[in-house]
Amino acid sequence: MSSICLPAYPFVSTLMDAPGLDHAAPDDRDARDLRWSRLMAAAQAGDRRAYDKLLRECLPLLRQICRGRLRDATEAEDAVQDTLLTIHRARASYDASRPFRPWLVAITERRALDRIRARGRRSGRESALELAADLPAPTGSADAALDAERAAAKLRDAVQGLPESQRTALGLTKLQDLTLQEASVRSGMSIGAIKVATHRAVQTLRRRLTGKE
Amino acid sequence: MQSEDLIHRLAGDLHPVRPARPPGAATALWVGLATAVIIGAVLFWGLRHDLAERLASGFEAPQLMTALATGVLAAFAAFQLALPDRSRLWALLPLPAALGWLATMGWGCLQDFVKCGPEALHIGVSLPCFSFIIGLGLPLTMVMLWLSRHGAWFSPGPVAALGGLSAAALASIGLSLIHHLDGALMVLIWHGLSVLVVTAIAAKLGPRVMRLGRSG
Repeated sequence: MSSICLPAYPFVSTLMDAPGLDHAAPDDRDARDLRWSRLMAAAQAGDRRAYDKLLRECLPLLRQICRGRLRDATEAEDAVQDTLLTIHRARASYDASRPFRPWLVAITERRALDRIRARGRRSGRESALELAADLPAPTGSADAALDAERAAAKLRDAVQGLPESQRTALGLTKLQDLTLQEASVRSGMSIGAIKVATHRAVQTLRRRLTGKE
Repeated sequence: MQSEDLIHRLAGDLHPVRPARPPGAATALWVGLATAVIIGAVLFWGLRHDLAERLASGFEAPQLMTALATGVLAAFAAFQLALPDRSRLWALLPLPAALGWLATMGWGCLQDFVKCGPEALHIGVSLPCFSFIIGLGLPLTMVMLWLSRHGAWFSPGPVAALGGLSAAALASIGLSLIHHLDGALMVLIWHGLSVLVVTAIAAKLGPRVMRLGRSG
């Protein structure tokens, strides 16, 4: 049944033409898949070296898939990191008796699509704002627009003025909507530190923007 | 952070995990657990007095069989969808059995109508049916969500909804063994409504529950 997925991901076939990745002979490809499968089975048993090796070997493929989907290099790299986090969290879902590559590609696809959807939502909001800007201006709207612009600039300045740890925690938990665990892994901060930094960031912003404690 | 640094950090954070059971084995475990719970309920409340008569009449047996098929196939589909490399078309697997289940109940309504006339379409309130399926279906759904928790990363909504459907279908079988209901229409409405409620609650709240229990 897994092959039913393929028509939904037409770019998978383009990957087959990618230099250095899937141009290998079928036997080589099978051997590589078998090696990855063994490395993952070892990782499931707790072998850190095998896991490190596996992820580093898979990284070019993840990047290729994400860059095929997301034109923006930064966003593609974020999708790669989302994929790495998902592989880590969901590594128990891999069945070593099955090929590794379809499992890996399916996860990468999903995380890249999540990024595309998130970008779509963002651009939808931005388009709505642009459309709103084209509407005939009611009386006093110039003042309102100016106020909104000032407020946005004030918010940007306030966020920029936060200590780096607070800015990072706020960005990961509130803007990228990562879980505390994911934010912790991504930033290298402990979960407790993430919680404290996010709380302090919100408090600081509230204080700076409203003047209230 | 660079992806290479993230890999280094993830490898450092690695601890052993038990690979998820294949869908067939997970379904067998789930059906075994649900059967144990239903047997416990039957031992506690006792078999309904007219079960043999109803089975012989030909109405109850197809209904139980299609409910069982719905419960088992919905569970198997949920465990398939909980894995990233499986087709989303697995979600359709329990559909024929669920339609068959509805059809057997609808056919029972028709038979009752032919036999008893309009009186067969009398609708009463059967809160015990409703509360039994909800009361048994929701805890069973929690077990199902735990067993399929890997799906939290991939298709939490469909996995939870199918898990709820499976739990409710099996709870409905338990109810049919215990509780006496006059009239196929009553069975259709109260069993059907309860199954819908459990499935809807599972679809709505299940993904959050799975996120709490997801591994790693």
